[in-house]
Amino acid sequence: MVEGARVSIGSEARVQTIVPPRVRPLGAGSRLEWVLMHIAFVVITVFFLAPFVWLFTAAFDAQAKAYIRFPSQPTLDNFVQIFDKYAFATALGNSVFVAVSTMILTVAVVALAGYSLSRIELRQKAWITYAILLLQTMPLSATMVPIYGLARELGLRNSYLGLILVHSAIELPFLVWLMKGFFDSVPRQLEEAAWLDGRGKLRALFEIVLPVARPGIAVAAGLSFLSAWAEVLMVLILVDQQNMKTIPLAFYETFRTAGGYNEVQYGLIAAMGVLYVLPVMAVFFATRRLMVRGLMNSTRGL
Amino acid sequence: MGTAVGAGAIRPRSTAAPSALRRNGAYLAGLSPAAILLTLFFVGPSIWALYTSFTNKALVGLDAARPRFVGLDNYQRLLSDPDFATVVLNSVVFVVGSAVIGQFVLGLLLALLLDHSERRRYRFATVAYAAVLLAWVNPTVIAGFLWVAMYDFYYGSLNTGLALFGLGPVDWLGRFPMLAVIIGNVWRGTAFTMLIFLGALKTIPSDIYEAARVDGANTWRRFWDHTLPSLRPIAALALLSITMSTFGTFILIQTLTNGGPGSQTEVIALYAFHEAFRSYEIGYGSTIAVVMLLLNVAFAIVYLRWSRARA
Amino acid sequence: MEERKVSLSRRAFLQAMAATGVVVACGTSPSTAPSGSAKPATVSGTVTVSYPDELGAKPKYVEKAAADLKAKYSGVDVKIDLQKIASGDYYTKLLLALSGGGDVPDVIHVGGDRIGELADAGYIEPLDKYVSQWEDWKNYPQAVKDGVSYQGKVWAIPYGLDMRWLYIRRDVMDKAGLGADWTPKNVDDILTAAKAVKDKNATSIPYALYAGVGADTGTANHSFVPLVWAYGGDIIDKTSGKWIGESPAVKKALDYYQRAYSGGLSPKEILTTTKPWTSMREKEGNGQLALLFEGGWVYGGWQSSNKAETEKNVHYVLHPTSAAGPSFTIGGPGTVWFVTSKSKNKDAAWAFIAQWNNKDTVAKLNIEDPHPVARSDSADVAEFKAQPYLVDSTKALEKARFIPTDANYGKVIGAIQKATGSVAAGEMSADDAAKRYTDDLKRAIGADKVITQ
Repeated sequence: MVEGARVSIGSEARVQTIVPPRVRPLGAGSRLEWVLMHIAFVVITVFFLAPFVWLFTAAFDAQAKAYIRFPSQPTLDNFVQIFDKYAFATALGNSVFVAVSTMILTVAVVALAGYSLSRIELRQKAWITYAILLLQTMPLSATMVPIYGLARELGLRNSYLGLILVHSAIELPFLVWLMKGFFDSVPRQLEEAAWLDGRGKLRALFEIVLPVARPGIAVAAGLSFLSAWAEVLMVLILVDQQNMKTIPLAFYETFRTAGGYNEVQYGLIAAMGVLYVLPVMAVFFATRRLMVRGLMNSTRGL
Repeated sequence: MGTAVGAGAIRPRSTAAPSALRRNGAYLAGLSPAAILLTLFFVGPSIWALYTSFTNKALVGLDAARPRFVGLDNYQRLLSDPDFATVVLNSVVFVVGSAVIGQFVLGLLLALLLDHSERRRYRFATVAYAAVLLAWVNPTVIAGFLWVAMYDFYYGSLNTGLALFGLGPVDWLGRFPMLAVIIGNVWRGTAFTMLIFLGALKTIPSDIYEAARVDGANTWRRFWDHTLPSLRPIAALALLSITMSTFGTFILIQTLTNGGPGSQTEVIALYAFHEAFRSYEIGYGSTIAVVMLLLNVAFAIVYLRWSRARA
Repeated sequence: MEERKVSLSRRAFLQAMAATGVVVACGTSPSTAPSGSAKPATVSGTVTVSYPDELGAKPKYVEKAAADLKAKYSGVDVKIDLQKIASGDYYTKLLLALSGGGDVPDVIHVGGDRIGELADAGYIEPLDKYVSQWEDWKNYPQAVKDGVSYQGKVWAIPYGLDMRWLYIRRDVMDKAGLGADWTPKNVDDILTAAKAVKDKNATSIPYALYAGVGADTGTANHSFVPLVWAYGGDIIDKTSGKWIGESPAVKKALDYYQRAYSGGLSPKEILTTTKPWTSMREKEGNGQLALLFEGGWVYGGWQSSNKAETEKNVHYVLHPTSAAGPSFTIGGPGTVWFVTSKSKNKDAAWAFIAQWNNKDTVAKLNIEDPHPVARSDSADVAEFKAQPYLVDSTKALEKARFIPTDANYGKVIGAIQKATGSVAAGEMSADDAAKRYTDDLKRAIGADKVITQ
């Protein structure tokens, strides 16, 4: 047992998985340490934030270019244009709907699959686990063509169902693997206690295990949302109709066609980018502690 | 185990111990939605790709009208193409540079830094933390544009910064393309390893730290003798995971250098994409994909051996 | 919809038409002779027209043609599928759709250089039976007709032809001391002038020579092929139909690349960015780039953003040869309309194409998006004749050379991209690259289709 884990057996017990031990503060360090650490923070912050300067300056610049320049007349015109002429509202709505639905579907599927894979008794379990993970390495450029054909046969093109299914499938191998790892770290005593009490497997899962699995679920939710939010290649082959496009497609189209033959409208692209990035930024920052716990538990179980 | 048979809730069909199927039945059912999706979108297409790699199927031209089974011809063509060796080498360099050296090491360092600052209560660490996360959550298409703006020769941020120090402009994408894409990819992906290591660091019992402190071991020894070994198993898995995903990255490279100049940053994932969708030779493109898969399997086996040997 | 195969004799045809009382106008404006030819008895059903549009000029003409067609035939319905994506992506998605089962559009809009590969794949329908009875077909010069023919059949109707100019910025040339009216004396003179620009002005980009993958077909059509021609060679042997790999002209062309790139005369950006065309066109338009060999239609884009500046400073001439000054251009059929072979309503598809390709539409569209017109009567339309640029472009076609319609050209372009890319990146010498070119060609299209000289 690892220090910090408080696990009790008993049907009424509130149980917890590995909780990060309260970080025992070390007290203030030396002056030198403070200075060095803060220099490190500044360097890190600058390195990771510097590229974004382009995004936020070009978005407000009517003559934006591919490099950073400060707009002579900051304007909101780019934002107006993407909603007016490039149907960004549709793309935004579709992206949100598809990403949220993907998140829900994926969480349900991978939680169930991860739990099942964790608890199942199979001699080849380890091989199957790694095989699942390796599935994800099949490059999209090869699978795009058969998936196109499949989607067309099943009538999934230009439909929300198609988008959601494909977006869910894309991260599935990795997330199943991750969830299995997470559930491996959840002691079986919990469910066994529930079974002893007469509850069926499914009920035990829902009532006892899942509440404990919140951090893992959060990770699965976050990663699947992120992957769906960013997916572009699959949308390219699944969607032709303007009313079904998601943000990555709108982005790609604007890059390729706005401005005709002779120029690229970087201002529009940056404006789309700003609206594209802000929601995920906010969500991830708000849930970071949960994420860390979830990732921690997922990987220790493997 | 085998406690499914309990307090009268289930009527046992026989007095023998429940069969494996009975025990596992529910779990198999639980796996089925995932199994269906995986079969449809991964296993099926992979088998299709494998089969297609033995044909000369194309999306256009004579081979579209009458594709033929060509056996190992595509593989022969691939292996005899001098570019293939270059492409594999580029991929290895990219993965080692970006995943192993960049994301892994940097992620570990960042995690150590942030963990330590939490203990010291340095608030500013949160800003750095947010910055790293931000780079990770933004979609790849955006990341490409952001770094093009950084690397532009005439007006890019890096060269403008250099000019402030009186240094001449560097043609990043023209003269140091591999370094440029590695940096871009490290920027993008480090948060993931950082998060994993952060979590791992938190599980290291403080007891060990205390014991070591009492013993008089200084910070460095504590790190080397206690922290690192505890991280090893997780490190192997993190490395496996990011290696596999870095191997398949190509959108960022495409946006930054499109495999160029020449073929200096043509990694295998991008090569597969170019061959499949520029000349529309799907059979040949599938061949490259199958080879990619095999290379990934090889990496995975290597890592697993390494992690099992150490653990 | 059932395909209507019209195989009546002409006499029976006219009789049938008279009997049904349907007056068929042959898709032309009122000023030309209408009625009585090239149409089946009735055209009905749904026809799907699919096309990409980058410039924004085509939709109104497509809609007009659709409306006119619907007005002419009450039973017809036109579904327009405008894809707001780049033509390259459109082509990829189109091929995916055409290669599988399922519904395909009836009318598609693709570059005419793809005729060979599309015909070989069996995706498009030959139009001979329609054009042979189309009144307007006589307005198309034989060279234009040849440009859309493959294996003896006509496959598409062109409207705006491709031609290219060597664009020279007068202002940059003036500043470099070469004079605003500078023209190259021969092909090497371009490099000399580029060097002069580089020496006199560090912030100007002297020359944009497309190389590598990013420049797509531009690497072949706007750089390599004209250079090979300039050096007296060719990329395909017209008598045997085989593609030429290593040859003296190819070596000289690759050596030209080597000189251009190693001398810093052409920017490495071309080799790394995904849209080098856009970047270079933009820079030529605003004066940052001095020399660029590009499509004639690009001038229109510059004109529409700044007419005065463009007309004053952008000088356009033909491509020089190794011995003589500006003397040829490279032409092409332009983007054209096809009827798909899996179309379920080919007659209506043809009717749409014929309707669209009327004298006025062709003239007007090619004024907005400047191309020489495919049909000679459109060149006589007043507004067209009034544009000096368009008159020049049309005249330049007399000096145009064409790449024959061959299904393997796409793969050849791939080999060209590799050869030029590796020389430009400094990875290979010109001679080695020429040898590699032969090998790449053989690997791509088969050793039996490649010869060396």
